[in-house]
Amino acid sequence: MINLMKKYLQILLLLVFVLASCHSTDTAKQKKMAIIVSTLNNPWFVFLAQTAAAQAKSLGYESKIFDSQNNTALETDHFENAIASGYSAILFNPTDANGSVVNVVKAKKAGVPVFCMDREVNSPEATSQILSDSYSGCVSLAKYFVQTMHKKGNYVELLGIVSDNNTWARSKGFHSLVDYYPGLKMVAQQSADFDRNKGLEVMESILQAHPDIDAVFAGNDAMAMGAFQALVAAGKANHVKVFGFDGAEDAIQAIKDKKISATAMQFPKVMAQTAAIYADAYFKGKRDFPKKIPVAVELVTYDNINDYIAYGKK
Amino acid sequence: MDTILSKYRSHLVKFQPLIALVLLCIGISLMSDKFMTVDNGWNVMRQISVNICISVGMTLVVLTSGIDLSVGSVLALCGAITAGLLKFGIEVPSNNLFVGFTLLGAILAGLIAGSLLGLFNGWTVTKFKVPPFVATLAMLTIARGLTMLYTKGFPISNLGDSFAYIGTGWFLGIPVPVWVSAVVIVIAVIITQKTALGRYIYAIGGNESASKLSGINISKIKMIVYSIAGVLSAVGGIMVTSRLDSAQPNAGMSYELDAIAAVVIGGTSLSGGRGTIMGTVLGAIIIGVLNNGLVLLNVSPFWQQVVKGGVILLAVIIDRANAKND
Repeated sequence: MINLMKKYLQILLLLVFVLASCHSTDTAKQKKMAIIVSTLNNPWFVFLAQTAAAQAKSLGYESKIFDSQNNTALETDHFENAIASGYSAILFNPTDANGSVVNVVKAKKAGVPVFCMDREVNSPEATSQILSDSYSGCVSLAKYFVQTMHKKGNYVELLGIVSDNNTWARSKGFHSLVDYYPGLKMVAQQSADFDRNKGLEVMESILQAHPDIDAVFAGNDAMAMGAFQALVAAGKANHVKVFGFDGAEDAIQAIKDKKISATAMQFPKVMAQTAAIYADAYFKGKRDFPKKIPVAVELVTYDNINDYIAYGKK
Repeated sequence: MDTILSKYRSHLVKFQPLIALVLLCIGISLMSDKFMTVDNGWNVMRQISVNICISVGMTLVVLTSGIDLSVGSVLALCGAITAGLLKFGIEVPSNNLFVGFTLLGAILAGLIAGSLLGLFNGWTVTKFKVPPFVATLAMLTIARGLTMLYTKGFPISNLGDSFAYIGTGWFLGIPVPVWVSAVVIVIAVIITQKTALGRYIYAIGGNESASKLSGINISKIKMIVYSIAGVLSAVGGIMVTSRLDSAQPNAGMSYELDAIAAVVIGGTSLSGGRGTIMGTVLGAIIIGVLNNGLVLLNVSPFWQQVVKGGVILLAVIIDRANAKND
């Protein structure tokens, strides 16, 4: 019994010690920003979150990054925790346009402004939304696709995670234009989960069934790079055109090397910085923010590649 | 008559995964003429080589009536360590010290990291009696977090042609990853069938207290088994990294499920003591063929998940029914 109590006491002491060492200096008066992002399992979102944190820091605010792990329920927990522990603004990258509405409403009720980055929330309660327009980005990518394919050929589409709304925004944007050209035939549409290895493996299998394809449209750059590797291994990289989405470092380099044809550049840096700057302005009394600011997604090809770097413009 | 029938039945049970595989292959080839080609055969073999490494390790762990959920995260961490050391080495700015790594050195470091992570799993399981499910679940999160810390959340790419050979090269007309998985299988079969370690592994899974009474050092055996699982995850991690020419921080997500599925389809009992390496290999091939076939047939991604789950369930139901008849 005494032994047991001793053990509990030890654990308790340890906990107190750990908590004490975690607790930072007095910040009661200082305003802090919570950065809640849908996932950190994808470099794009890591970049978004870190840029927001860096901007907050340069404006003189403390911030903390919360990872929702693509789980709206976990996101709800993060909102509750952030509100309870006194964060004064939330820089928010939602997991789901509809599912995240309750969280935004909750924050609004608690008097905490929410600034959405990249992805939209279907709610007027968000203070301001700085959004990447995946749909029209894919329309301009599709325009280039139709043009380089001379309106005919067989192509493969690699979808992202099928339960992710970005997957479908991109796919629908692409098809909204490409489907008007009967000469362009989609011979396979498969998911590769936004993952490079899956992109490679799925493409290997598709190439067995359809050795005569002319192009691949991938819902993100990681899958595009995986598909490109499968094409290289099959000796088809020279005559199959690959199109990606995101503007990741590997893809920018690959376009420069004429390995893949094009990608659609999003601007996570612009969105994250704007969100943090808006939060700062909110603290200083500004209230009239534009409800929605679309940040254009730009087409990147070999012709304009020198204007771009990973995740942004030079 | 009865004995002949039961003998016949026991043979049937033994070859059950093989029969399932043959039926599956016949079915897919009837629906697609692209399936039964040499090229596609190599594709499938190359694609499953990673899962084979992981699920062979998983089989050893499951035979001791344990489980290892951390394989996917360990794979990612070891792949990242190998890639990072190869590309950047170790820099100690305060001492102006830089340690570069050769290809072999970086791979060795990745394998050692895998064995240490596995050893840690074995240590928590044996020393603190943490249930394997919980201990390795914790490691799943820890190793993923360490991967994020080490890579800072970004992929480590462009690792050089000699490293790419491991995942994409050919040797004597056979892809290198297939060689690697073949070597892993041979070693594992020898361990389980011909060595004292193998006999102890089955004994522990069959009846732990009896094995303890008969003088087997259970902690030691378990630590060895979890370490082997860690090393094999590292082997898988190095192969994936080499194949992609890039260590992805989210590599190996949910690979533990594919590995457990291979083990279970292969007829290994999750309560330990019963099962074979070759069964698991067949299980891994079945999953690989299924993945490949569903894409060849252009089955909708939604349905693919349903079909895969259904196959796993069916395999276990048949296995259970047979176990009851034994």
